Amino acid sequence: MMQSALLAIWQADSGFPNGSFAFSYGMEAIAALRGRFSAQALTDLIESVLRLRWATFDRLLLLRAFRAGDDLAELHTLDRTCEAMTLIESLRLGTRRNGGSFVAAHARLGNPTAARLRDAIAAGDCLGHLPVMQGAIWRSLQFDEPSAQLASGYVTASGMIAAAVRLGAIGALQAQSALQSSLPIIEQLVIEADDAAELSSFLPFIDIAAARHTRADLRLFVN
Amino acid sequence: MGLQQTPSATSGGAKPSVAARIGIGGPVGSGKTALIEALIPVLQRRGVDFAVVTNDLVTKEDAERLRRSGLIDPARVSAVEAGACPHTVIREDPTLNIAAGDELEAKFPGLELILFESGGDNLASTFSLDLVDWWIFVIDVAGGDDIPRKRGPGVIKCDLLVVNKVDLAPHVGVVLDSMLTEAERVRGGRPVIATNARSGLGIEAVADAISSAVLFQA
Repeated sequence: MMQSALLAIWQADSGFPNGSFAFSYGMEAIAALRGRFSAQALTDLIESVLRLRWATFDRLLLLRAFRAGDDLAELHTLDRTCEAMTLIESLRLGTRRNGGSFVAAHARLGNPTAARLRDAIAAGDCLGHLPVMQGAIWRSLQFDEPSAQLASGYVTASGMIAAAVRLGAIGALQAQSALQSSLPIIEQLVIEADDAAELSSFLPFIDIAAARHTRADLRLFVN
Repeated sequence: MGLQQTPSATSGGAKPSVAARIGIGGPVGSGKTALIEALIPVLQRRGVDFAVVTNDLVTKEDAERLRRSGLIDPARVSAVEAGACPHTVIREDPTLNIAAGDELEAKFPGLELILFESGGDNLASTFSLDLVDWWIFVIDVAGGDDIPRKRGPGVIKCDLLVVNKVDLAPHVGVVLDSMLTEAERVRGGRPVIATNARSGLGIEAVADAISSAVLFQA
């Protein structure tokens, strides 16, 4: 239990190099549309992402990849599903590149599962979508399922916070207030969400904003 | 086939890079892209098989500039966004750049050299040695002759310091010889090369330094 908690802290730490800092997953485009956020507005946005995309899509892909273990064929299927269901190109390519960096980091650290996933990506057998790679590699690191989900949810929320701060859309302390408010939501979703549900994602405002971002002349983030 | 049974081309995790990887960092506007543009024909003439990864700060302008230059196959130029963190993408978290280098190596077997151009930063930027084997820091005389004296980590720690735009020295009140002497002094005698990337001055010497340091060619 404690070991899994420590693993989750390690992997959720923004100091772990996995490329995530370069992805805003729509936040840059939303900040361009809305300007500055209040802590409540940012909390609301994070809650929408957690409830309507992370819990019902990313979390389920992570969980199923976690349960697939070293079944490369199943991971490939999950990867393809993520690819097919992520309609916005910048989000689709973003999670692939983010996943590729995540795998590269663990491969360099000597994780054999990550090394094999890296080779599978290079060979075209896997696409490398982030939640699928997280599920496979975190299982290999001996995470338990709840810790893996908590780390994934936290990384999603803290990534949005970090992007908003760097974009100047909110102050660093106000952003932490929003992040703190998101913690019980993550906990609740891990406890109560339906693990057997069909995959779904419905965030039209963020999807449209992310699509606009693709055409932006100036941008700091990949998506 | 399961992951545990998947034949791996590598043993364990630390896949050794085939191509030498070098960094080119320095403040915005110091001439990093111009230096690469000047190096490209020199490296090509020497038969070096190479590719470039750019880290643009807010656009893909540097990557597009190189791709449209006609100097290099556009497929050999890869762009990595810096996510508003030009330090981070080359130092604290170089994984996007590592992955971009791995992709180029997979795409171009036989690649000998990858140049990673930083997005442009201040004098404190340095490259992670997880990413590069050797790195250049570029400053320019128009930035002021006091830059070496400020002893920024980039100026001090790089393997080669390039002082670019030397043709501008008389126009910006810089005594070039003094600036170069001071640069060598603060670097403890480690290499400093004066260049004018637009005219080609000093570019052969930079290529010589790269060849000697990472390609093991005299």
